[in-house]
Amino acid sequence: MRIGVYVCHCGLNIARVIDVDDLRKFAEKEADVVVAKDIDYLCSDSSQNQIKEDIKEYGLDRVVIASCSPRMHEETFRKCVKSAGVNPYLLEIANIREQCSWVHNDELKATEKAKDLLKMAIAKVRNSKVLEERKVPINKNVLIVGGGIAGIHAALELAKAGITVFMVEKNPTIGGKMALLNVVFPTNDCSICVLAPKMSEVSSNDNIKLFSYSEITSIEGRVGDFIVKIKKKPRYVDEDKCKGCIYDCSSVCPIDIPNEYDFNVGRRKAIYIPIPQAVPNIAVIDPENCVGCKFCEEGCNADAIDFSQREEEIELNVGTIIVTTGYQPFDARKKDEYGYGRFKNVFTTFEIERLLNASGPTKGILARLSDGKIPKKIGFIQCVGSRDKKVNRPYCSKVCCMVSIKNANIIKNRYPDSDITIFYTDIRAGGPEYEEYYEETQRMGVKFIRGNVGEIYEKNNGNLVLSYEDTLECVRKDEEFEMVVLSVGMEQDQSARDLGILLGLTENPDGFFSVIHPKMRPVDSNIDGIYIAGCATGPKEIPDAIVQGLAAASKVMNVLNKGEIELDPMRASLIEDRCDGCSLCVDVCRFNNIKIDKDRKKAVIDETGCHGCGSCAASCPNDAIYLSNFSDAQIISQIDAALEDKKEYPIIIAFFCNWCCYAAADLAGSQKINYPSNIRIIRVICSSMVKPKYVLRAFEKGADGVMVGGCRLGECHYKFGNYDADKRLSILREILSGIGIDSRRLKTVWRAASEGNNIANDISDFTHELITLGPLGFEFSGLDPAILKNNKQK
Amino acid sequence: MSLLSEIEECGEVIGKDTIDSFLACMQCGKCTGSCPSGRVTSYRTRRVINRLQAGDRSVLADPNLWMCTTCYTCYERCPREVRITDIIRAVRNLAAKEGYMSKSHRATASYVIKTGHAVPINDETKKLRKELGLSEVPPTTHKFPKALESIRKIIKKTNFDKLVGFDWDTMSLEERGEK
Repeated sequence: MRIGVYVCHCGLNIARVIDVDDLRKFAEKEADVVVAKDIDYLCSDSSQNQIKEDIKEYGLDRVVIASCSPRMHEETFRKCVKSAGVNPYLLEIANIREQCSWVHNDELKATEKAKDLLKMAIAKVRNSKVLEERKVPINKNVLIVGGGIAGIHAALELAKAGITVFMVEKNPTIGGKMALLNVVFPTNDCSICVLAPKMSEVSSNDNIKLFSYSEITSIEGRVGDFIVKIKKKPRYVDEDKCKGCIYDCSSVCPIDIPNEYDFNVGRRKAIYIPIPQAVPNIAVIDPENCVGCKFCEEGCNADAIDFSQREEEIELNVGTIIVTTGYQPFDARKKDEYGYGRFKNVFTTFEIERLLNASGPTKGILARLSDGKIPKKIGFIQCVGSRDKKVNRPYCSKVCCMVSIKNANIIKNRYPDSDITIFYTDIRAGGPEYEEYYEETQRMGVKFIRGNVGEIYEKNNGNLVLSYEDTLECVRKDEEFEMVVLSVGMEQDQSARDLGILLGLTENPDGFFSVIHPKMRPVDSNIDGIYIAGCATGPKEIPDAIVQGLAAASKVMNVLNKGEIELDPMRASLIEDRCDGCSLCVDVCRFNNIKIDKDRKKAVIDETGCHGCGSCAASCPNDAIYLSNFSDAQIISQIDAALEDKKEYPIIIAFFCNWCCYAAADLAGSQKINYPSNIRIIRVICSSMVKPKYVLRAFEKGADGVMVGGCRLGECHYKFGNYDADKRLSILREILSGIGIDSRRLKTVWRAASEGNNIANDISDFTHELITLGPLGFEFSGLDPAILKNNKQK
Repeated sequence: MSLLSEIEECGEVIGKDTIDSFLACMQCGKCTGSCPSGRVTSYRTRRVINRLQAGDRSVLADPNLWMCTTCYTCYERCPREVRITDIIRAVRNLAAKEGYMSKSHRATASYVIKTGHAVPINDETKKLRKELGLSEVPPTTHKFPKALESIRKIIKKTNFDKLVGFDWDTMSLEERGEK
């Protein structure tokens, strides 16, 4: 066995804290290591070439890299060694940046921890086996979830390239939020006028099959082969017969309710078409409010009303998915001091968009709905539900500054007498022609006051008194306005959140879907074959959403053009001699990939369908299931290496799930959140693959505590893996108590990838808890751990 | 020593995290716009934080510092979760140490020294208590004058009397020339 070890300085990112020279010397002394080098930037082309040359020169058959997280560059280095003839799975990465140099300040401790991490990686790679990537054909159909501006552009781009697209939209029409806006900045184009042609293109393109008024109920499978179930809600209107005239049916409908497509400032009937440009232009009966009088049936000349319609379930097979679920506006009622919902003349951005819209409830007249008065003095309040930790919306929604400037510009154009003030914290008007637009609006006489309005009082005449500080003048004022517009921010769409759980997407700290790398991979989700575009990943303006839609389409084409994909060779396989056909594994496999051959009394694993979570392997009492690249030999060698020479107390062995806790620990690194250095993290593919024997092995080798981290319950990448882990480890805790080990030494945490801060706290808290428990085995001394109270971690 | 670390020291009970939160202030003015005191006084909450961020010591001598009623409205509404009211309390501790305690606050303190109460009981309250079926005076120093001795002991031991400028001979505040 000939191992090459490479230690990366990452400029000073690693070398500032870790003594890379010492680390390299340490590696040189490890068995089987024939060459060890420390290099400034390992990911650079020249460094990669160096590795390739070394592989040839020294005849290396395995490579260990000590660098940033494997989640960052594993692929880079796998490709690198592969091109030099080493199997990519004979490469291991020791994460000495995100999980060491970025989170520990103590140079000595960090260097010692880095040595352990490196030793663990070397130990694992010694036990690694050659794995071959599986090639599978790809289904050429694409699913797009959400028919807003991003989804529409993705769909058209793909359809024009001859690819079949299934578009699922939960509302009766596509168009998303953009279809409801008045005009768009900085051109003041009518929003629907520029969007409607695109919407029609979607309906007329033969390659796009649109499922409007439909929702996704389940998604199974993986890249290349997803099986999607769609629930098509009944419109109670025959799609082939309805001509979209809407007058005959709706004029006789006796129901009159607030129209959600006017953000409730307008009204609609129980049978309606959301907007005049709707695609498809087919009426829908809202079953919540329809009383079943059937007047519409009488009124419709086309005979299109059909109350016998029932919900339909449709099954689709697709190879890739684009998620364009958009956003929802912040609920301004959460900012109680502005009185939205209580004060008649306090509106939100979207309500104003509808009032200014020619097809809105007032046909474009900006009137106070309470008394019909056209307001002269209008105030816009920025950052309502943005940059506000108090409502858990700490992020800037990016578009609201320009949106308010636009609406002020439009109002000033239509009503030159109006006196408009925009109350802002910082104006963020970055974009093509935006600054000019801002200046133009200033020149029109719109006032800009820098100050976040404290509160609003309502007067008897419905006018509103704003209490604010002009922060540039340091003057506190009370000023009366006739209308106030709250510039509400964007937040994750609630129904998208459910879809995210179905797909196994992760959320970023702002609550939107997260992408693999926010800068470098802006449309790649954490799951192969699923891409995300538009506001589903965070606030964006229209052109950015379009660009992302196109980017996602290009990503999809990229996959489809290859015709087949290489799947990660992660999978479970059976060691037949050991299997006695007990069928425990069958019960834990949520993907129904294991069956029992009754005649032979042996399990049969469908390896091509296997997702590779490893829960079956952990459930097997005979260790008859082997999980590739995470075998018993590999994990146990890592545990042993970490505990061979204990340099810290209390020493913690952690098994962190690749998708969440491991990623969260990486995030803690990126955010430079410090935590104690006494933890040695072993990356596992799912918390469910953690066998009780791994935990026992860690204790046997002297770990003071063991931590198992998985996704938040209900959000497992493999559906229920974390529940399996929870169940297994709870039982294990009882066993630990039974043999006299304090069960608090085994800790489970369920964190999302976005919880960097929380995982760091978990590690700190657990460390402190272990200190109060004393070193492993203290429980056998019969002494009270209170005597250890002052035994601070050294 | 920087102004920040001095405030941290004077606000030890309040906590470093709480005090340091003002570093995150983005000067939006939500606090001033929400301040019921600022409505009638020249106290501008944001300006105090602004001057603290700049390390401007003159803030300690500013009488406006004592206009905060500690109603916590700014604290509740601050979008960056700056714990404003608690910070004001810590800054006041430092200001008091440097001899800038406002006259009204000193007067209140002198009542504590004299009676054991920041707001001593008056005839009207006594009457009201009786009407409500309570004892005429509450079971505090009003009822147990001996307890007042203990309070005074604490006050002397902690030098609170010197901080406030209380003259035991005249049983009143010494002149400091503040407005």
